Amino acid sequence: MIRKTAAVWAGKATGALSRITGRGGGTTLPGDVARAIDPRILTKLSQDLTKGSIVITGTNGKTTTARLITWLLEGAGYRVVSNRAGANLIFGATAAAINTAGPDGRLRADWGVFEIDEASLPKAVEEIRPKATLVLNLFRDQLDRYGELESIAKKIESALSALPDGSTAILNADDPRVAEIGLGLKKPPLWYGLDDTSVAARELPHAADARTCPKCGASLHFEAVYVGHDGVYECPNHDFARPKPKITAKHIKLEGFDRLTTDIDHTHIEIPLGGLYNTYNVLAAFAAARTLGLDATYISERLRAFRAAFGRQERLEFRGRHLNLVLSKNPAGFNETVRTAVDLAKGTCFLIGLNDRKADGTDVSWIWDVDFEHLKGKAKVVVPAGNRAHDMAVRLKYADVKAEPPETDPGAALDSLIKATSEGDTAHLLCTYTAMLDLRAELVRRGWAKPYWKT
Amino acid sequence: MKKTFTVGWLYPDLMNIYGDRGNILTLLKRAEWRGFDAKLVELGRGTIKRMEEVDVFFFGGGQDREQALVYEDLLEFKQPPLEQAVNNGAMVLAVCGGYQLLGHYYQTAEGEKFPGIGMIDVRTEAGKKRFIGDVVIDTEIETLNPKTLVGFENHSGRTFLGPKARPLGKTRLGYGNNGSDGMEGCLQGTVLGTYLHGSLLPKNPHLADYLIRNALIRHGVDELSPLDDSVELAAHERILSRAQHH
Repeated sequence: MIRKTAAVWAGKATGALSRITGRGGGTTLPGDVARAIDPRILTKLSQDLTKGSIVITGTNGKTTTARLITWLLEGAGYRVVSNRAGANLIFGATAAAINTAGPDGRLRADWGVFEIDEASLPKAVEEIRPKATLVLNLFRDQLDRYGELESIAKKIESALSALPDGSTAILNADDPRVAEIGLGLKKPPLWYGLDDTSVAARELPHAADARTCPKCGASLHFEAVYVGHDGVYECPNHDFARPKPKITAKHIKLEGFDRLTTDIDHTHIEIPLGGLYNTYNVLAAFAAARTLGLDATYISERLRAFRAAFGRQERLEFRGRHLNLVLSKNPAGFNETVRTAVDLAKGTCFLIGLNDRKADGTDVSWIWDVDFEHLKGKAKVVVPAGNRAHDMAVRLKYADVKAEPPETDPGAALDSLIKATSEGDTAHLLCTYTAMLDLRAELVRRGWAKPYWKT
Repeated sequence: MKKTFTVGWLYPDLMNIYGDRGNILTLLKRAEWRGFDAKLVELGRGTIKRMEEVDVFFFGGGQDREQALVYEDLLEFKQPPLEQAVNNGAMVLAVCGGYQLLGHYYQTAEGEKFPGIGMIDVRTEAGKKRFIGDVVIDTEIETLNPKTLVGFENHSGRTFLGPKARPLGKTRLGYGNNGSDGMEGCLQGTVLGTYLHGSLLPKNPHLADYLIRNALIRHGVDELSPLDDSVELAAHERILSRAQHH
């Protein structure tokens, strides 16, 4: 008990220090410090929760989905602890619990909502012992850090097999690799999936990964493709097929980055989020919220007033331009944001920010799997930015997209955008994680945005 | 009539993990910009259609699961026409998994040997540490200008060259073939193997042109018209200058 309190205090002090010294929001370091003092701190704090926890993992959509679930739980009067700032390693989850704990070392909250990096899932599930575990999708992402998709899938598999009794796995039936994991579980998972072929494509994009049958190796046949390799699929030899989802989203209508409507499980949903990828996030959050005991009518009402997480889809005004910041970090995600910006939002001005720091992935070859060709003839202004702006400039050249000169400095990139656009224009800033942080920091410095840990 | 230039992409669905499409696009665009009728032939499992028309083959990397499927198909279908095409002067660029599969074998940590098709005199053994990061090499290809090649590697295989293969270059930054002899890649006849992706050709337009030119010599093309490569070479230069700060 004393050890737990000491760990909480040390963690809290670290967090305060890191904010004062301007090193960021103290979103992970307090976790490091507290875990050094008490390695079981996260388990102990999780046991303080009156209701329990949910853990969310997957390549894309973790932050938005976690934020949706938190939004729903908080609106229902629960006290929620969550790792908000995209700090999704075990240290980030620990830090979130520490920051919410009281001076007596007790965590006074009802629910824990933790987004967890795929590779950290086994550890997180073991320590947190969640009521529900949500797996959104498995796309190719940051091969330099994680290794191949297969090793990540194995980790998720081992985590889900070790879930405690009474814990539910909530899985995306549309993702072949997630389905393969779920079909092997002893306790059947809760499957969800889209059910509206009017928003589907027929062919897989270049960025698709899991295209072969896990049993016989034949190429999967896709009847509908929604996002990346997520869709309705079956093995031509009938060895494997998409599990039938229990919770589905039908009648999907997308209005740019502004709004989407859909019917989930006979409940009409309307939410100020755009893009097909967000339909998946909303569907996943709905399935999770129902599992945690929330009422469908309440969910529908509460979602109407939702606000997105920083940089996931954030609106800012900058010298008369309307900026739309959209995190785009891997081929599947980037293809969706490009598609939404061009087709649905009719965007013509872009800044594409590519960094290769650890959090972005140090290997940038994935940009060749993104269909930037979609910008051809539609984009009037494209500014390649980030510390790998030069690679982005080459990518755009080979996509026949006319671009401004590459700008590695975030300030210079913003200035270039201002120079190339006019007042009243909307510019879509599609950026990898730290490229987004850099641009935002520059906008904060110039007085056009608030620091991210205050959003 | 326009002269054609044909790229053959071996297993675009299965062996396409590290942005390999960048290599394909670079070959096609650079031929197209010079007035060639650039064509892509996708060579998935079970097909050998139009392999004899291909000027440059590209063979990328895949995950273990896919690589096993590909090996079966290579033996059953692709090997004879591929060898035929190479004998007729077609060029081959093989990266990572493709590089390993064209060699004699891949030996796992447990000592199990997976045979390759033995087109190039190289063998690969599994290593413990994964080699991941930027790579800069000084190439042994005399006609290349600049002399450097830049890319990104991510492999645990250690590849060793036999007497018939010569290295593509010496590593200035990164691990290369095996992390011990300072060499990267291999050249053997018209086959070029390497661990560099990133993608390789977009940031090394001179290597892309080397492949195009050498494949087209047999069709009576001896010079390629120059292109403005300032955007590509600026990206190349960025990696070189970062290498100096390592």
